[in-house]
Amino acid sequence: MSFLDYQADITKKKEHPIFKGDPVIWYIVAALSLMSILVVYSATQSLAFKYLEGNTEYYLFKHVRLVLLALIVMWIAHRIDYRYYARLSLFALWVSVPLLIVAQLYGTTINEASRWITIPFINQSFQPSDLAKLALISHLAAMLSKRQHRIEDVKEGLLPMLFWIGLVCGLIGLSNFSNALILFMTSLLIMFIGRVPLRYFFVILLMGAVALFVALSFGERAATVKSRIESYLDKENIPFQAEQSYIAIATGGLTGKGPGNSTQRNILPNPFSDFIFAIIVEEYGLIGGAFVVFLYLGLLYRGMMILSRSHRAFGGLLAAGLSFSLVVQAMANMAVAVGLVPITGLPLPLVSMGGTSLLFTGLAIGIILSVSRGDIVEQSN
Amino acid sequence: MNIKQSILLRVRLSFLLVAAVALAIVARIVYIQFVEGDYWRQKAERRDVRLQPIPALRGNILADDERLLATSLPFYKVAFDPVAPDEATFKAGIDSLAWYAAHFFRDRTPQEYKHFFVNARRQGRRYVPLGRKAVDHSDMQKIAAWPIFRKGRLKGGIIFEQETRRFNPFHTLARRTIGYVNNEGRGVVGIELSFDKYLRGKPGQAVYRRSVGNRWVPFHDGSFIEPQDGMDVYTTLDVNIQDVAHHALLKALVENDADFGCVVVMDVKTGAIKAMVNLGRVDSARYAENYNYAIGSKGSADPGSVFKLASVMALFEDNPQLSLNAPVETGDGKYRFWDVVLRDPKPDGYGTITLQQAFEYSSSIGIARMVYEHFKANPQRFINYLHQFGLSTPLDFQLVGEVKPYIKNTNDPTWSRLSLPWIAIGYETVVSPLQLLTFYNAVANNGKMVQPFIVDEIRDKEGRVVVDYEPVLLRERICSPQTLQKARLLLEGVVERGTARNIKSKQYKIAGKTSTSQKFKDGQYIKEYHTAFAGYFPADNPKYSCIVVIDNPRRNLQYGGEVAAPVFRKIADEIYSMDLSIHEDKVITRKAVSPKQIPYNEVGKAADLQRIFEELDIPQKKWEGVDERSWVFSSTAPDSTVVWKPLLLDDDNMPDVRGMSLRDALFILENRGLNVWVKGKGKVLRQSIEPGRPIKRGQPVTLYLEHP
Repeated sequence: MSFLDYQADITKKKEHPIFKGDPVIWYIVAALSLMSILVVYSATQSLAFKYLEGNTEYYLFKHVRLVLLALIVMWIAHRIDYRYYARLSLFALWVSVPLLIVAQLYGTTINEASRWITIPFINQSFQPSDLAKLALISHLAAMLSKRQHRIEDVKEGLLPMLFWIGLVCGLIGLSNFSNALILFMTSLLIMFIGRVPLRYFFVILLMGAVALFVALSFGERAATVKSRIESYLDKENIPFQAEQSYIAIATGGLTGKGPGNSTQRNILPNPFSDFIFAIIVEEYGLIGGAFVVFLYLGLLYRGMMILSRSHRAFGGLLAAGLSFSLVVQAMANMAVAVGLVPITGLPLPLVSMGGTSLLFTGLAIGIILSVSRGDIVEQSN
Repeated sequence: MNIKQSILLRVRLSFLLVAAVALAIVARIVYIQFVEGDYWRQKAERRDVRLQPIPALRGNILADDERLLATSLPFYKVAFDPVAPDEATFKAGIDSLAWYAAHFFRDRTPQEYKHFFVNARRQGRRYVPLGRKAVDHSDMQKIAAWPIFRKGRLKGGIIFEQETRRFNPFHTLARRTIGYVNNEGRGVVGIELSFDKYLRGKPGQAVYRRSVGNRWVPFHDGSFIEPQDGMDVYTTLDVNIQDVAHHALLKALVENDADFGCVVVMDVKTGAIKAMVNLGRVDSARYAENYNYAIGSKGSADPGSVFKLASVMALFEDNPQLSLNAPVETGDGKYRFWDVVLRDPKPDGYGTITLQQAFEYSSSIGIARMVYEHFKANPQRFINYLHQFGLSTPLDFQLVGEVKPYIKNTNDPTWSRLSLPWIAIGYETVVSPLQLLTFYNAVANNGKMVQPFIVDEIRDKEGRVVVDYEPVLLRERICSPQTLQKARLLLEGVVERGTARNIKSKQYKIAGKTSTSQKFKDGQYIKEYHTAFAGYFPADNPKYSCIVVIDNPRRNLQYGGEVAAPVFRKIADEIYSMDLSIHEDKVITRKAVSPKQIPYNEVGKAADLQRIFEELDIPQKKWEGVDERSWVFSSTAPDSTVVWKPLLLDDDNMPDVRGMSLRDALFILENRGLNVWVKGKGKVLRQSIEPGRPIKRGQPVTLYLEHP
């Protein structure tokens, strides 16, 4: 497959001195950020009228600031040698576990789920699950690359990974079931890519099911999950949010109502986050929606290309893992909006409004870009 | 297959999986848009979802004892769907329904109502409004129980439409001070306006879905915004004082055929306003709380003789040696200042009198001449004292609409040679009654001027204090202690010997100043008067200050002492009797009561009587068989101990209730089925059926009561 041939593709061109790494990823990020600002500005109109006496620019400026901050985080992250992240990932995992517990016990409640903790002094609420997710995937990549030659060894190879996956997903699942499920599936996907033998997956799936069941029974989200699945299976009574989302998508048509012309933003709950894709289709039509889907697929494709051209397993697995993590979540969000899966509370990465998750997305993409840089000398065997 | 190839194969497979999902998403959009599209677009057209504000509940306004002065209550508009009931129900109930409706709404006869309903049913009308006004909750419940209606909305056709209305439990009391709310629920005047930002709360918002029967129900989801109910405003108003002041002023206005009047009662130490009454004529015989005369411009022109206190205090401040006995020449009751003649109330004048007498008789010539003679060289000195007394500085009162006081300086374009003597007797100035009262209050409060306030606290719905208005000291000292002492002697003299001696009280001392200013238009007196009384009580240890203003009384009584001062006295009497803190020193010392002094026999429930006697430290004991619940009468043992003996009561014979309180007697007699009639007040002296006579249920009996 020639499109996977790294030498033929990128190194022919000289890298940009400031924006290093894969330029296509930069373009995709730029396009999605622009889309994000336009749609969030439109979707927060009713929010601004409800809370701020019509000061519509408030949310715009707040969001633009965060998008820029995320881009800065991304830029800084991509200048750092990605091998450094291997050591950092374990440390981050150790930090995120107590943070998840703190959030569970003392966290701020947003939308009836305690997932947020407020950072003292700067008074910014943040979800420890964002940090935990990034740390887990990075660490999985590190563990997988280290164990490539004894990947069949259950005790040395498989169990440490399962331990971390189970712990992090279990803790997240206490307060945010869908997030945990997505992370669990992404982890499986990465393990699959990292050559874990297929026969182990039966056992893993069984254990995962048990872990999620335990999280549900001890956590606070069981009722929500139950009602959401029930309402999804009940084809007679489509849930209100889904119904309004379909109306947004259907009235958008092929080319959409145009930027800022959404009407469903007034009725659809969370039009700037969970259901932002419905607003995108309403304003930009099938074409705009398909374009956004294509951008995410493009991001994943480029992530995969980094893996194929990398000489060391860690870099490739790291880039691919993070790309999969982002894109799987994006697909999950869009699948909710179009009614392919039950309603969950996942933001659309890079597009949804929302404080720190945007920054962690920036960090993740920064790491991917760092791997894609051609100037880090690989010490391959 | 080496490691790298294996990884590449697996990652491509994974990518294809995600790409399949992406394809499914796009396919699903196409499906929703093109296959289900018409259905969803129709749904969007039908508008069975709408965004609607949820009104916030307006906060309450409360009196100082937390009684409600203004609150928001649900009211119901009543309507009838005469088509809804079936034929049998309608036929069976229509006559009595018409009767109930006619008797309740009183706008049609029962026959007219019946015709009205029958016609409406024949014409197929589904909505017939009943009565012009919305009814309250208890009436709504009554109406819901009427024939036909009691079958409910669907089968009985009764329609209630709820709306929230502002309700003032004390109706007209302090109506203007409390204020009104317009149709949008915003305060228009008074506290309702001035504290609107706290009272109004914040409306919420919800998505409403159209439900069965075209009803809109709120849909609770992420976009639901809970309304924030308004906060409660706790005022300093005392409902009892307000009530007394209201009725005293109203009576005086009616009796004197006056144009308007106002009363403000203030707590001397803190400046808390205990009552603020404003009544203006609305037609020939009716008065209503239509304007805040106490603070607004309509009640503030030319304060008149009440202002003379400031003038003499300016004299004392400028000349500390000036004695109350200083002689003043008032002549024959006429005195000419250039082209204008000033007159005293006494036709032939007071002749040569003391300063104190001039003040007590309210001699305008005396005061005007003294001020003129003393300050003519430098009139601004006099004006500066008025500034010092805080009369020209706006109070920054909590209610919107306070008039800006106007005391002209000598550089004012309208200043003339007449200004000095005229201002001295309360003309050519604008000072609101509240401002004058604040000044008098400062005199009562040993020279400390406190800011009047009417709102004490703002509390949220959980009862947490959000804003706490502390008393504010405006001026530590408005004058020297010597001036203050003289001023208070003068004010006491006015009630003791002067123009307000008609309101002198034996129990407590009032200090104050009357005002009777003949209105002055275009350099001429006109036959209109402005009367007032401002003062405080008890004079020795002032607790309350009060101002009464009555404008343009038309009857023969035109002097402040005769018109406004009696209102003051009535209010003061009432407060004196209610407020125990005023007569702390007069609490009757408890003396040991010996049973011989008990003037009459006690009869009643053992538990009650024993408690009373215990409280009075009277030795007592019980007859055998007497317990807490027994009916007993008292007798005195040789050792002066009170002995409780059981009262014999049986059901068939007339009990002896003589000596009992009416409450006890009624309880006993009515329990035996007797029809009790009562004459007189006090305890039972005689009973029309002799004790021991046989009685029947329903038999009438008369009790004659008398105070022992």
